[in-house]
Amino acid sequence: MKNGLVLFFGVFAALALSWAGVLLSASQQLGRLGQFKDPTDDTIYPQPLSGLANQGRLVYQDLGCVTCHTQQVRREGFGADLARKWGQRGSYARDYIRDETVHLGSSRVGPDLRNVGNLELHPGADADYFYKLLYAPTSVAPGSLMPAHAFLFDVHPVAGRQPSASALKLPSRFAPGPGLEVVPTARAQALVAYLTSLKDTYDYPIERSRNAPAAKPKEGGH
Amino acid sequence: MNSTENTRTEPVERDGRTEQMEIDTSAKWPLLVFFAYAIGWLIVGGALELAAAIQLHTPTFLATCEWFTHGRLAPAAQNALVYGWGFNAAFAVGLWLMARLSATTLRHGGWLFIAAKFWNTGVAFGVLGILAGYSTSFELLEMPRFVVCLLLVSYALVGVWAVTTFSIRNTENVFATQWYLFGAAFWFPWLYAVAQLMLFNAPVRGVLQPVVNAWYVHGLHGLWFVPVALAAAYYLLPKILGKTIAHYYFAPLAFWWLAIATAFAGGSRLIGAPVPVWIPALGTVANFMLVVPVVLIGLNLFGTLSGRYGALNGSVTLRFVLLSMLAFVLGSAANFAFSFPGVAQVAQFTLLSGLRDWLLFYACFSTAMFGAAYFILPRLTGNEWRSPALVKIHLGATVLGVVLLTVGLAWGGWSQGRMLNDATLAFTDVSRAMTFWFTYRTVGLFVLLLGHAAFLVNFAFIACPFNLSGAAPAQINPPPALEVLKA
Repeated sequence: MKNGLVLFFGVFAALALSWAGVLLSASQQLGRLGQFKDPTDDTIYPQPLSGLANQGRLVYQDLGCVTCHTQQVRREGFGADLARKWGQRGSYARDYIRDETVHLGSSRVGPDLRNVGNLELHPGADADYFYKLLYAPTSVAPGSLMPAHAFLFDVHPVAGRQPSASALKLPSRFAPGPGLEVVPTARAQALVAYLTSLKDTYDYPIERSRNAPAAKPKEGGH
Repeated sequence: MNSTENTRTEPVERDGRTEQMEIDTSAKWPLLVFFAYAIGWLIVGGALELAAAIQLHTPTFLATCEWFTHGRLAPAAQNALVYGWGFNAAFAVGLWLMARLSATTLRHGGWLFIAAKFWNTGVAFGVLGILAGYSTSFELLEMPRFVVCLLLVSYALVGVWAVTTFSIRNTENVFATQWYLFGAAFWFPWLYAVAQLMLFNAPVRGVLQPVVNAWYVHGLHGLWFVPVALAAAYYLLPKILGKTIAHYYFAPLAFWWLAIATAFAGGSRLIGAPVPVWIPALGTVANFMLVVPVVLIGLNLFGTLSGRYGALNGSVTLRFVLLSMLAFVLGSAANFAFSFPGVAQVAQFTLLSGLRDWLLFYACFSTAMFGAAYFILPRLTGNEWRSPALVKIHLGATVLGVVLLTVGLAWGGWSQGRMLNDATLAFTDVSRAMTFWFTYRTVGLFVLLLGHAAFLVNFAFIACPFNLSGAAPAQINPPPALEVLKA
């Protein structure tokens, strides 16, 4: 290999082929994946995020939650995601088209969050739970290694003003002190709106087969 | 070699030496600047990484400060190490190897100062941007978008230098090191630009984003860091041992095969993810194909070293290169193992999945750069290493840290995966059990940081223009001259 030009074209071709073969063809296949209209109730799924939840997605992004949390439920038979109640079914590609940015994540130092707002799976996981979890994780999840995100909250004295309706009701061990209240900031409210919106409850009839374990090949059949 | 031949090659040899000195003089200041930035980032990134590691077992550590919350600190550390240490070191070593092998001086080095300045300004703003909350949360692309242009333009300035140096080469032959450097010089900007375009400028939808991200991350490791490490190994081994690469006829095949298969292997990161099944399947096939080039490269490099293991005693560089080669094989084996669904099912999302990238980025690439630095810096500055003890500390800490972390993260990661897949175990129990391994990881990273600090001190002595009393040869015997291949 003495010819620089041959080297250049080879180097170019190696990457160009993989770009076309992986990214371009995946984009051809999935780029136009659309919402699905349920024939019985005439509703389209996945439903778009609310404006506040979409702002919360940005807070999720800027705080780097993806460092420790995934947002993908693996199908039955591949890991214990369903048994851990991280979802009612494996995730489909279609679930993610409502999200402007998709962070599947690559680390499970913390649990998967794809269905963390699903009250059927996590009966106690309402907004109040998430506020407490963010302010003082061990107050609702003893033994958790999650860092506190107290900077998402305002702590101010109650004296001389009307107590805030959205102040957290913390056990005294975690409260900042007598006469003080903890009020979520706008960013905390957006983040919690996003977290409570995380649920893939609708099971697309056209996708269901993707979730089933592969059929065993028949004996002797070709 | 008989005496007549000896006298015949003597003048050529002397010419070669003066030429090398000219090259080193032309490269001295630009490369010292790149090395200085690289080592600076190695310390800064290492300290941030250590702090982030502490947070995993002591969640209250720095938790009150929003800038240092774990979700920001960990990616900031990663970016400082990859784009700060990794790229500056690759620039310095790559440019030097390219100039030496092309037998031409680095011309107009002033532009390289500008490139270094802008690149590092970009990285600094990028890391601060992540800490300040402008992270994009895409792995290794977290830096805010306002630094992207700065990085690409300053990269172009460096890349153009490498390619121009190659194209005005004064040599007939083109050596394996040059293929790898030439390839890497083009692959990185394409990977980066494509990833930026497809994620931010004209974003693709839905799960295509993780596909693009996986393609980029895999490419960055396999088509930038690994080629630069191999380039260094292909150069340093024959140079220090005074013999040619064994089975060199395999090298071109290994190069092309490695490049093409690695480019397709990115999808293997998405096994079990909600993407079309052919994407991870293609990545798996590519990882299986990669066995061949890894074996061929192993034949080249270990074949050259075989029978000459005694030389390891005399050369720090050689020991670092050997560590890097072992890590290359181990890292490739890890990628291969991750292609099996049975392994991926347990190992993905655990400490093990971090280990596989770390093996290639740190244990393979960074150690090769350390080895190359111990070889290059005395030649560049004309000084010797000041303290043999510090060289030993650096080598010892690196070997110890790499072994500790490889064994520990593999073991800890596997048990983490087993526990996560056992739904009868509450998640908090998994966290509690993992505290030990997170603490262990902190210890390993601390050991590495100690070695880096020793390296920094030695570098400061050798690079300081007023220091002339260095006394520690990293090379106990001067390298024998390469046998000249008769065509």
